[in-house]
Formats: sequence, structure tokens, C-alpha cells
Amino acid sequence: MDVSGILFVFLGAQIIVATVGTVWSRNPVTSALFLVLNFFALGGLYLLLEAQFIAVVQVIVYAGAIMVLFLFTIMLLNLDNERALAEKFDLRKGFAVLLGGVLLVELLYIIGLKTPIPIKQTALTTVQLGEAKYIGRELLTNFLFPFEIVSILLLLAVVGAIVLAKKNFTTSPKS
Amino acid sequence: MPNDYLLSLPILAAAGWSVLLIILEAMLSRAALTRVFAMLGFALVGGLSVIGFPLQGLAFSEMLRIGGFQHFANIIFCLSGLLVVALSEKYLDDENVHYGEYYIVAFISVVGMMLLAAAANMAILFIGLEMMSIALYVLAGLMRRDVRSNEAAMKYFLLGAFASGLLLYGISLIYGATGELALHKIAIAIQTGSASMLFWIGFGLLITGFLFKISAVPFHQWTPDVYDGSPTPAAAFMSTGAKAAAFSALIVVVTNFSTLLQNSPTWSLVISSIALATMVVGNIAALAQENLKRMLAYSSVAHAGYMLVGIAAATPDGYSGIMFYTLVYTLMNIGAFGVVALLESKENLLLASDYAGLFKHRPMLAGAMAVFMLSLAGVPPLGGFIGKYKVFAAAVDAKLTWLALAGVLASAVSAYYYLRVVYFMFMRDPVGEAISAPATSSLAFALIAVAVVLLGVFPTEILRITDAALKFAQLPTQTGF
Amino acid sequence: MESSVLSLVIFLPFLLSFPLFSFNRAQHGTARWYALLSSLLVFAGALYLALQFNPSSGFQFEHTALQNWLGDSMDVKYSVALDGTSMLLFAFAAFMFPVVVLGSWERVTTNAREYYFFLLMLETCILGIFSAVDLFLYYMFWEAMLIPMYFLIGVWGGNGRGDAATKFFIYMLTASLVMLIGILSLGYISREMGGTFTTDYHKLLQLELPLSVQNILFWLFGLSFFVKAPLFPLHTWAADVYSESPTGAVLTGVLLKMATYALIRFNVMLFPTASANFAPLVCTLAVVAIIYGALVAMSQPNAKRLLAFSSVSHLGFIVLGIFSFTQEALQGAMILMVNSGLTTGLLLMLVGWLEERRGDVRLSEFGGLKKNMPMFSAAFLIATFASIGLPGLSGFIGEFLTLSGAFKSTTLQTGLYAMLAALGVILSAAYMLPMVQKIFTGELTSERNAALSDLTPREILVAALLVAMIIWIGVAPNSFLKLSETSSQAVIEFVTQKSASQALAK
Repeated sequence: MDVSGILFVFLGAQIIVATVGTVWSRNPVTSALFLVLNFFALGGLYLLLEAQFIAVVQVIVYAGAIMVLFLFTIMLLNLDNERALAEKFDLRKGFAVLLGGVLLVELLYIIGLKTPIPIKQTALTTVQLGEAKYIGRELLTNFLFPFEIVSILLLLAVVGAIVLAKKNFTTSPKS
Repeated sequence: MPNDYLLSLPILAAAGWSVLLIILEAMLSRAALTRVFAMLGFALVGGLSVIGFPLQGLAFSEMLRIGGFQHFANIIFCLSGLLVVALSEKYLDDENVHYGEYYIVAFISVVGMMLLAAAANMAILFIGLEMMSIALYVLAGLMRRDVRSNEAAMKYFLLGAFASGLLLYGISLIYGATGELALHKIAIAIQTGSASMLFWIGFGLLITGFLFKISAVPFHQWTPDVYDGSPTPAAAFMSTGAKAAAFSALIVVVTNFSTLLQNSPTWSLVISSIALATMVVGNIAALAQENLKRMLAYSSVAHAGYMLVGIAAATPDGYSGIMFYTLVYTLMNIGAFGVVALLESKENLLLASDYAGLFKHRPMLAGAMAVFMLSLAGVPPLGGFIGKYKVFAAAVDAKLTWLALAGVLASAVSAYYYLRVVYFMFMRDPVGEAISAPATSSLAFALIAVAVVLLGVFPTEILRITDAALKFAQLPTQTGF
Repeated sequence: MESSVLSLVIFLPFLLSFPLFSFNRAQHGTARWYALLSSLLVFAGALYLALQFNPSSGFQFEHTALQNWLGDSMDVKYSVALDGTSMLLFAFAAFMFPVVVLGSWERVTTNAREYYFFLLMLETCILGIFSAVDLFLYYMFWEAMLIPMYFLIGVWGGNGRGDAATKFFIYMLTASLVMLIGILSLGYISREMGGTFTTDYHKLLQLELPLSVQNILFWLFGLSFFVKAPLFPLHTWAADVYSESPTGAVLTGVLLKMATYALIRFNVMLFPTASANFAPLVCTLAVVAIIYGALVAMSQPNAKRLLAFSSVSHLGFIVLGIFSFTQEALQGAMILMVNSGLTTGLLLMLVGWLEERRGDVRLSEFGGLKKNMPMFSAAFLIATFASIGLPGLSGFIGEFLTLSGAFKSTTLQTGLYAMLAALGVILSAAYMLPMVQKIFTGELTSERNAALSDLTPREILVAALLVAMIIWIGVAPNSFLKLSETSSQAVIEFVTQKSASQALAK
């Protein structure tokens, strides 16, 4: 198994663990943080597939923007539960140890290697596939229709969210 | 070759109209006005599909496949949307949830359905499915103060998301196996090479996603709870438009791989078994229901089973039968749900026994409901019979006589619970006060009932159209399928 | 125009049923007069057809429409015609409807419009069943008939009407749906044997079906007819439906004949070899039905249920007559179909009138009625005699022909069936006469019985009509026999020829 294989297994396992953690955590903040971990690992997987642009977008949009919003919301809703939150955060010690251990293994592995890591030379075309330029061109030519029609889906999401979430919703005056 | 915009005009018009509805609601915030415009939109889009019926071809870099089949499906979706919106107002008013957004969401759901039927590419397939489903989740949870509506929305959302996940996973595996996302290119890739295990797993997951949406056994458990908790018109919409859309997409997918599937005894066996289980479980569970919404939910499961018989037959006749079936089913099921909604919102009558003596007070409404029930049971000369006849005929043609026999026996069982409603309406004396309902709605239901009868007696032209509509889906054209 | 006259007669009741809704809901008087005139008009039409009918040739008054009814891949169409087998029953059905309207004149007072609406709908379905020469069309009429029947029993029936209606509907639907699979299979087999998917009766007659296929299709079709006939052991619905139905006379008079008619028309003609092979089995069931029906009838305390089982017994004779495969027996069966409709119909109607007056039909409640109801007693007695087959009345000629035909039958090979069936004739006297005795003789013990009034002029008219028919058939059977003579001869020749050629091919 080469490095990308090992990384794939590692990231894949991380995704699974993080997903299970998201579902199992009692505390919403822990859940959300697991989800962040999940998104990061997914970004890593994209990188492995030489989809650099998607990987970056994944991290920036999901792990960055969306999850921050998520966490804000959760924390705003759970203000009276701060103590419970703090208690749960003691778990971080365990994670620190775990992550430290992983790092140690990685270091030992690299030190132990006699030959330099063989980085697979990918063809230029595959690298280009992951570039923003290429993706942009695809989206605005071949995938123009899905790209545009998704906007309706987003509109739907906005309208739906308003219907379900707006407070003090009054029915509109009857004509 | 007509150009892309002309070809996909109904879809583009529908998408544009949904934006118009949003602007309208945002500016004026008048639900009644939005409702009228939504109905106008359905009429417009349906009309465009009628006018554009002969147009066919691939549009937008082979993303959309437009032909008679898609146009016919669009008409069914618009009909479903139109009828549901038409009968929603009173119910929503009575439940105090008459929001203009309801109509917008329903309209966008129809856009999703149209995309599903027109998908020539897995990307569109997924977008269409999500657009339709997300809209339905919102509709299910519309009554926010009602715990059961919340439960329905939550359940539908979680299970629906799970099904979408399966479908997406299936798409990714198929992409992995063939390196293609366009359905017809996948079909070519499989024909030149051979269908790998990876492809079959992906295909199975894809189909599972659809089976969930059409509530086939064993993916049907959500159906009764969701239909029961949702606003009744929304349940009518889920059981007709959404089901028709999922079946259209299923037909599009299986016709693409027809050569592969026709030579696969496993496929035939699996789909036949699912169809059988769906018919049996749906009908037997419906027998035990007192609540009419739950009864109709299980009946909708059973009808999915009958339609699946057409898929199992895997012949153009079978698919054409399903298309006819969905048309009739849309009319008769919305009719039935509509009557339930009418009596539920006004009087909170939900049990079959609550309908005792309806005939005495509202003969026309009771008569229409009797037509819907008998048509759902598949008694000639009503439309429901012709639908069943076509799919069962296709099954006999495909040497699946045992399945057809099981199907007719299951539908004989179904007669019992449909007749129970008729029994209470006509053969019991009313208890308590007279059931009141506005006369205009009785007339509307009578009109739907007349349509159901006419479809049963004079199905010829519609059947010609469905047969012809499938021709394009069948031809292995150079650009197509 | 000439060609569509049959269709016109068939759909006349349907067309005439809609103006009913323009009448005032409360006035049932107008509705029943209107229904009577409509059904008389239809009868006039049927009579016109019967007079135009040429007994020596085959199908007449052919009318087809709606080519490729179910899309172009299927040769399914609207197609009606009459031949000797159906003409008699067609006219008889049209005759029975005015009688039924008169018979239930006073009984239906609530929702009379709807009652007559469903009655006229039913008439269209029944006339359609007797004249359809396309299997799909036949099936449409056959099943559509369930809807008006369901409502007639369920809304205007007796106390247990709802359950009886549901039971009737489910039994019939289940059996018919099995036949649907048979029709579909037959259609596709005809396509495989060269040609297209067809449900055209004439084309299907030309098929040389292999015996194995015939054997399966025989039962797929037969089940539906045996349930409706009803043949033992599929008769369990009959007693409930008879006792709850407001239109018992139609039910026995016409409805059950549709099943025996269909046995000749479809089972025997389409699957001749299988029919000949299964004849001993079917005749055994028929003989069991004759004797079983008679024995159960003897122990019934309720007049309506007694008549229901007597009808099961009569149907046994008809089935025996059909499956004896001699012209004599077949002709006898045809006459018996009419006879059992007339006699059991009249008896049920008389019992119904008694029920209207007294509110009860248990035999133990009555006695000595001949004193205060002489007309009623006379009519009842004549119907009873016809029912048990007294010479000079309609029952005798039918039973005689059936039994002598069955005795000579080469298909059955033994006269045992006929001998056992003859036992049924004796038994019929053994349950009918005690009923007459219980109701009419003895002393008027109860005051309520003494207060019963005799038949009204309207009731006398109805009873007289039926009695006249009973006597007419009994005295001059030839005028009826000649209608079906050629066609029943053709049936027998067709079957013998087909099964002989199939035996040779083996």
C-alpha cells in the first residue's frame, strides 16, 4: 500500500469515527465539532483525488462558514447549558492524547523510512481537472443547466426555512 | 432539431414562474393571490407541455431528455399540483396555516418532478429528486403547532435524506464503474464492456432510492405516519405527484438499461418480489385502518405495488400502463383525499364510521367519493380498472402470470376496505347532526369523478398517447438513451 | 342505423336513467312510473329484436364500435350481437325488469330516484352481458353489474343488507378477477398462435388450443361462473344475499342465468375438449348441488333462505344439462334457466310481499293464510308446482329434457347422474310442499296473520303476468325451444367435432 492508500484508509476511518461521533454525542456542540472533523477529513479525501479546488472549497465553505454558523446557533440556543458544555469539553484531553499519538506514529514512520516518500507523479491533465478554471468552464458549459437550476433549489431552501422557522407567523390577510 | 430553450420550455417556464411567485408573495404577501397565480402557472406549464408534445430531443449538453413521455408526465404533475392547490385553501384556512409560501413550495416541488422525469444525466436526476423532496418535507411540517405534523416532517426528512444518500451513493458507484454520468452513455459503456459488480451495487442503491420515494415494501414504513401527520392536501400531493415523478424517473432509468435488464432474471425476480410484497403488505395493512388518512396511505403503498408490476414486466406496454395508471390515480386519489380533507377540516371527521349517512345529507359528495373508492378498488367501468388492466396485461405478456394473479387477488382484498367507506356513506343512517360542506366543492368532486368514469370508458386516445410517448424512450437513437 | 339497433336497446335504460335526477326527491311516485315506462320501452325494443330474429342463422344484429379500445397493440373493441343462445335470455331479462319495478312498487319509498337509477343501470349491464361478443366488453359489463347490485342490496335491502352487499361484492369480484387473468392469457395465447392480442369471440373460436392450455383456462373462466351460478361448494354467499336483497326476483330471475349462459358461451365453446373432459367432475358437483341444496332447503326455517337453497338445487340441473353435451339436455337447460327465473322469481316476490305486510318470513310464524289471502295462495301454489316440475307448467319440460338428455349422454357415459338428479325432483317436492302447508293450511292462529290483506290489483297483475308465462312455456314449449334450437345444435356439433379432432391429433 502506498502513501495515498494509507492516507485514504486513515481519512476514511476518520470520517467514519467522526460521523458516528456526530450522531452519538449527547451534546450538540460536540456533535458539531465532530462534524467539523468530518468535513476536514472529507477535504483531505478530495485532495487525495487531486481535486484541489473542491477540497479548498470544502474546508472554507463547510468547515469554515457553515459550521461556524451552526456552532453560533447551537451556543445561542444553549446559553443556560454552559456548564454542561464545559464538562463535555474535558473529553478533549482524550482526543489530545489520541491525536498526539497519531502524530507520533507519523513522525516515527517518516524517520524510519530509508528512501524518500515516492510521490506519485500525476499527469498534468489530471491536475488541471481539479483546477478552478477547469471546473468553472465545465460548470458554465456542459453543466450549465444543473448549475443554474440549482438556484431554484436554493430558493426553495430559503422559502422552506422561512416557512418552518419564522417566529410569530401570521396568516396573510384574506382577500 | 429544435433548440434547447424551445425543447425545455415547460421546465424553464416553471422555474421562471416559481421566481415570479416568490416575488409576488414577497411584495404583496397575499396568499389568495399567490394561490391564483400558482394555479395559473400550473395551467400554463401544462398547456406548454400539451402544445410542445411532438417536440423531442436532448437539451443543454445532453442534460435533459425531452419527449412525449416527459410532456405527458409534466401534464400529470401539473394536474396534480393544480388540483391540490385548488382544494388546499379551505383546509389551510381552517387549520390556520394559510401561508402564500405553501403554494410556492408546492410549485417548486413540481419543478423538481419535471426535472426528475426529464433527467438524462444523474446530476439532474439528483437535483430534481432533492428539489421535489425538500419541498415535500416543508409541506409535511407546515402545521407547526401540531406535534404530529412536526413528527411527520421530521420522519419524512430523516428517512428521505437517508434514501437520497443511498441514491447518491449508487450514482457515485455507477460513475466509478463506468466513468459516466449521462444515462445513455452509461448504457453504452455497459454494452461495450460488461456490467461489473460495482455497477450492479450502484444500480441497486439507485433503485432503492426510488423505491423509498414510491413507498414500496420494505421501504414504506414512513408512509402512514407522514400522510397522517401532514396537512391532508399535502398528503394527496405526495401520494400522486411525487409518486408519479418517482415512477417516471424509474421508467427513464430502466428503459435506458432495457437490454441489460431484459436479460437479467435476477432483476425480474427482485422487482417482481418487491411488487408482490408491496401489494400484499399494503392491502393487508390497509384492512386494519380505521383512520381514513392512514387507510389511504396504505392504499397508496398497495397502488405502488400494482404499478411496480408494470416495471417488473419491463415492456413498453407495461410502462405505458404505468403512465395511464398514474394519470387515473392522480385524479381518483386526489379526489379521495380531497373529500377527506373537506370533512376533516370542517368537522374533524377522520374515521370511516364518521361518514355514516353522508349520502342522506350530501348525495353528490357521497356519490363522488363512491366513484373514487370503487375506482381505487379497480372496478370497471371506472378509470382505475383500465390502469390495472394494462399493467396486469403487461405482466401476463411477460410470462409473469403468477404476479398478475397475485395482483388481482390483492386487489380483491382491497375492495373490502374501500367498500367500507361506501358502506358507511350509503348503508348506515347518519349519527348526530347533518354533515355540512359547501356545495361548490361537491360539484368540483363530481367533475373529477366524471373524469374518472370517462377515463374508464373511453381510454383509447389517452392510451394511444402513452403508447406513442414511450416510442422515443424506446428508440436507441444515436444521441439518445 | 339498422346495425346499431341492438346497442340502442342495451343502452336505452342507461340513457333513460339520468332524467330521473330531474324529479323531485320527495316524490317517489313519479320516479316509479317513469321507471316502469322506461323498462317497458326497453322490453318493447327487446321484443322487436326477438321478432326480427331469425332462429335458423347464427349471430345477428352485429354492431361494433371503439376499434382498438385499449390502444393499438390489442384487438379489443365494443362488439355486440345475439344468437339463439342469448336471444331467449336477452328477451327474458328485458321482460323481468318491468315485473320487478311493479313488484317493488310499494316497497321503495326512500330515495326512489336512486333506486330506479341503479335498477336501470343494472338492466343495461345485464343486457350487455347477454349480447357482448368481445371478452373484454363482456368483462366490463360483468363487473360493472356489481356496482348497481351492491347499492341495490346494500341501501334498499333487509336488516343485514350492508354485510350481504359486501359479501356479494367481494365474492363476485374475486372470482371475476381470476377470469380477467384467464382473458388476458387467452388473448396473449392467440397472439402467440399467430395474429394479434385479441378478445374477439369469433376469432377466439377459431383457435385450436392445446389441451393443457384449455384445462387451465377452463378453470380460470369457470371459477367466476361457478361462484355466480352458484355451484356447490361455492354457494355460501347465496343465502345471505337472497334474504337481504330487495330485488330477489331479478337476482334469481336474471343474474344467476348470466353465469350459466356464460358457461355455454365461453367455457364450453372456447374450451370444448377441456369441457368434455371435465364434464364428469362438473356433473358430479352439479348432482351434489341438486341434492345438497334440496336437503339444506328442507331444514330452513326461513322462507327466503329456503328458496335460496332451492335455487342452488335448480342451478344444479342447469349445469348438468349443459355438461351432458346432448342437444336435448342443452335445450332443457335453456328452458330451465327461464323457468327457474320465473318460478323462483315469483316465489321470492310473493314472499317479499308477505314480508312487507307481516315483517317476518319465518315459516313458524304463519299458518292458515289461504283463508284470508286466497289470491296470494293461488299464485303461490302455482309457482310451487312449477318449481317442483308438475307437468303442464314450465318446470316440467325443462327438467324432463335435461334428465332424459343427461341419461343418454355419451360424454357422461353413465345414467347414474341423471338418476341421482331425478332424486332431486322428488326432494324438491319434499321441501316445497311442507312450506306451502305451513303457510297456508291449518287454522289462523295468530291475530296478526288474520289481519293480513290479500293481494292488491297491482300485485295480482304482476303475479298473473308471471303465471301466464309459466303456463305458456309449460303448454307450448316449442315457441321457446325453436329460438334456441339451431344454436344449441350448433354448440353440440361444434364441441363434438372439436374434441374429436383433438382426440385424433393425439
